[in-house]
Amino acid sequence: MQNKGNFKTRLKIAKSKLNSDSSNKSNKSGTLLGFAFKLGTEFVAAVAVGTIIGFILDNWFDTKPWLIIIFFFLGSVAGIMNVIRAANRMQKE
Amino acid sequence: MATNPMHQFNVYRIGPEVNIAGVDLSFTNSSLFMLISALTICIFLFLATKEKKLIPGKLQLTAELFYNFIAKMISDTAGSKAKPYFPFIFSLFMFVLLCNMVGMLPYSFTVTSHIIVTLILALFIFISVTFIGFLKHGFKYLKIFVPSGVPVLLLPLITVIEIISYLSRPVSLSVRLFANMMAGHTMLKVFGGFVISLGLIGGWLPLTFSVALTGLEILVAFLQAYVFAILTCIYLNDALNLHH
Repeated sequence: MQNKGNFKTRLKIAKSKLNSDSSNKSNKSGTLLGFAFKLGTEFVAAVAVGTIIGFILDNWFDTKPWLIIIFFFLGSVAGIMNVIRAANRMQKE
Repeated sequence: MATNPMHQFNVYRIGPEVNIAGVDLSFTNSSLFMLISALTICIFLFLATKEKKLIPGKLQLTAELFYNFIAKMISDTAGSKAKPYFPFIFSLFMFVLLCNMVGMLPYSFTVTSHIIVTLILALFIFISVTFIGFLKHGFKYLKIFVPSGVPVLLLPLITVIEIISYLSRPVSLSVRLFANMMAGHTMLKVFGGFVISLGLIGGWLPLTFSVALTGLEILVAFLQAYVFAILTCIYLNDALNLHH
């Protein structure tokens, strides 16, 4: 421990780095890339879930093919909403 | 080595066949690599935290880096209320990350390239987040499906759409991880096959691609684990801080 003072100043610098927002910046590009990967599946998943719900309800109520058509479109709307929400979150950060 | 690029995803039994009540519970190569990933995490964290020094060594520094990374992610996305769920998200992130990374080793098996694995992880998150939401807010949690400021006439329609959107969470969470891992590994294998079939003269181009893709795949492996963890945080945030 010859350079105790040196360590103390380094600790101070590290602490100030931890509190400031500048440490965020290095993460930022990674975060954005992560969200870019996210958007596509976000849409497809909602459409798929909507269609599956429609299919199951059709089998239940014997209303083929009306509910599957309705729920396909509802799923698409949900997918668009998912994408808009994800994009909004992206913009906030 | 098989030239079929999908051959790497085969699940086969290792050791004796275990059959309990008609359910095949045999130990497979998939279970083996899950075990390897989990054990690697345990051994790594055990060794890293064995000597708690004020000035950390390399191993301890790496462990602290992971800790800070996840702690910061949770406090940024889900706030201070989510602090108790740190162990859950940390283990989830480490497990997915290690499974992805172990899969990058030659001759290994990528556990996360099977949708059943990722779906179970996602369903577990989905069910526990829903459970936490109901536990914290009771039936008020159902408000998540009824956004405020919507005309009464549109309310049934919006509610149905919101429910579909909510139910699509585990699907998108699992499909994203599975599709990324599977597509990446298939692509690697296809380019690897090109190197062999084009031989010494033409094989250099696909070999270059293969090297580049390996780098990309390592990035994707990390990124997908990160996305998996951050989405869990976001869902947890929705469940903990109801703001509709």
